[in-house]
Amino acid sequence: MHSSIFDSLSIILKRDLMIAFRRSSTYITPLIFFLIVVTFFPLALGPQESLLSSLAPGVIWIAALLASLLAVETIFSEDFRDGTLDDFFISLEPSFILVFAKVMIHWLITGLPILVASSIAAIILYLPLDSFIPMLLSLLLGTSFMSLLGALGAALALGKSAILSAIIVLPFSVPTLLMGTSVITSSLNNQDFSGFLMIMGAMLALGIPGLCLLTVEALLLNYE
Amino acid sequence: MIKKWLIEMGSPPLFYKWSTKILPWLFISAMLILGIGLFWGLLFAPTDYKQGDVYRILYIHVPSAILGQSIFMFMAFCGFINVIWRAKISGMMLKSAAPIGVSFTLLALVTGSIWGKPTWGTWWVWDARLTSTLILFFIYAALIGLHSTIDDKTKADRAVSILSIVGLAIIPVIKKSVDWWQTLHQPSTFTITSSPSMSPDMYQPLLLCLIGFYLFFALLLTLNLRNEILERERTKNWVKQLLGGVG
Amino acid sequence: MLPNLKVENLSCVRSDKAIFDEVSFDVLPGQNIEIIGSNGSGKTTLLRTLLGLITQDKGEIVWLDDAGKYHNYRTFECLYQGHQLGIKNLLTVFENLNITKHAKGMSQEDIYKHLERVGLSNVNEFASNISVGQRKRIAMAKWLLKEFKIYFIDEPFSALDDTATLLIEKLIKELNAKGCSFVITGHRPSGIEATRVEI
Repeated sequence: MHSSIFDSLSIILKRDLMIAFRRSSTYITPLIFFLIVVTFFPLALGPQESLLSSLAPGVIWIAALLASLLAVETIFSEDFRDGTLDDFFISLEPSFILVFAKVMIHWLITGLPILVASSIAAIILYLPLDSFIPMLLSLLLGTSFMSLLGALGAALALGKSAILSAIIVLPFSVPTLLMGTSVITSSLNNQDFSGFLMIMGAMLALGIPGLCLLTVEALLLNYE
Repeated sequence: MIKKWLIEMGSPPLFYKWSTKILPWLFISAMLILGIGLFWGLLFAPTDYKQGDVYRILYIHVPSAILGQSIFMFMAFCGFINVIWRAKISGMMLKSAAPIGVSFTLLALVTGSIWGKPTWGTWWVWDARLTSTLILFFIYAALIGLHSTIDDKTKADRAVSILSIVGLAIIPVIKKSVDWWQTLHQPSTFTITSSPSMSPDMYQPLLLCLIGFYLFFALLLTLNLRNEILERERTKNWVKQLLGGVG
Repeated sequence: MLPNLKVENLSCVRSDKAIFDEVSFDVLPGQNIEIIGSNGSGKTTLLRTLLGLITQDKGEIVWLDDAGKYHNYRTFECLYQGHQLGIKNLLTVFENLNITKHAKGMSQEDIYKHLERVGLSNVNEFASNISVGQRKRIAMAKWLLKEFKIYFIDEPFSALDDTATLLIEKLIKELNAKGCSFVITGHRPSGIEATRVEI
């Protein structure tokens, strides 16, 4: 049975990543959106280094949050429309593991590009070099959690407007936003940020089984 | 025996009949206790030596904040039952409770704001409690919004049930993280809405108001739920008999 | 021989109307069930209920395991083909067959043999560029990847030309001989040998 779960997961990953790469907009759009949002802040608030570097943690995080929720609507919609999603519930493997595969794919095409682009954002917002690693770590944990939340939103709002999936889970992303920015802000003040990272890690650890299970329930609603 | 009653209440027509019987009592007790509590607190409780008479808004603010949170927990509880046992009435209860909960939360925010102006000089302060209440308001909005977009109401109930379970799990995390956020950005913690140290003369009307608010919620929930039941079962015979008098 | 799947008094209610009521049948190895009903009569809902996508309001569905006992949950892999066929537009015909769980361990020649069987060996296009009939043939090729105990197909004969219809009938017959069963739906009785269930 173990090998069969692994087979299913690797097939889903291979198939969806192939499709994602054939449609380059899938992974380019979140990245570009992230960078544009980041750019808008200096444009709107003025280019002073002191101002921007103090705002940098918040700006980077807000842009990351919005960009990762942008691509959320498509996690399940295409699979539902062409009947591929049915296999998740027909196969004998636990559906929530297969849903987790979709979450991972979403992160690979959204969170990972954001992670890469964040270094550019950090440079143009004058974030000190010492804070790069904390920023990347916080974004790694945070965008993963956003993909989890986003999957639930996408499942609940399947077939509805694209932004609804994002809006219904946006309030739940507040702890991620607060923790994530606190990581970077603490590192700017030379304080210990590991506590915040651990909380984010714990949220991820609990969220993976919990949110994936609830997402399965939400997806099944669409078959009624 | 309680189990039997619970199972019976799961049937909408039976619940409707039972609620018709208790409704007058609920109405009287809610209005009485709430009325006495508010009257006492707003007019007769002693004046606070620090904040003057403004603090009286607490008799509305504190119960509405507590109700806003309690109602959400109640909704999540209903949601849990709905997801696991698919009891339709728990879904309807959730849907009926949501607008009440969001209204109390909004009331808490507005009264918090009114309290803040004379006390701190601004209409809004980002203290931990008010901020958490604001986020709770958005969570309510998300649930109500989601429910309205789904046309099949039973399906909508189930969707909102799922979301309310997530909400319940994340609310403690939100509160903790807002607390940390507060201390990180403002070394001196302060709460605009901290209740002044209370003498029994002040505390008693507050307790009465709280009970009154809970009863008021029960009243509104029953009324809402009855309407919801009637609307959803309107094609059934028992509803037609009840409303039309045509056998 | 014991039936692989037993359905007893199945009924589903939506908005106070029974979509289907008191449906009972057994699926024996190598034998088919054909569910017949007009549009909107609940054939798709019935299929989904059998597979557990929808929970029934009344009735029992039991599956046979290898030890000869019946369970309320599915004990073996099935193939389900809904209206949407499960075909990815951005994959080629070959990839649609190759990148599936059941094609694991198959060589390229084997896959091409299956494609030849359904008449698609020369089509090297993305699935977005082929006709509806050809899409149905890809779906048929998927049936050949593995011998499932039960195939659940929603309206396999709709929108098909005569050649394709004959092909399906032939495939079903061959798979029946290997002990596989088909549970299919349709508007009217088809040419295959099956127990008809009307809803």
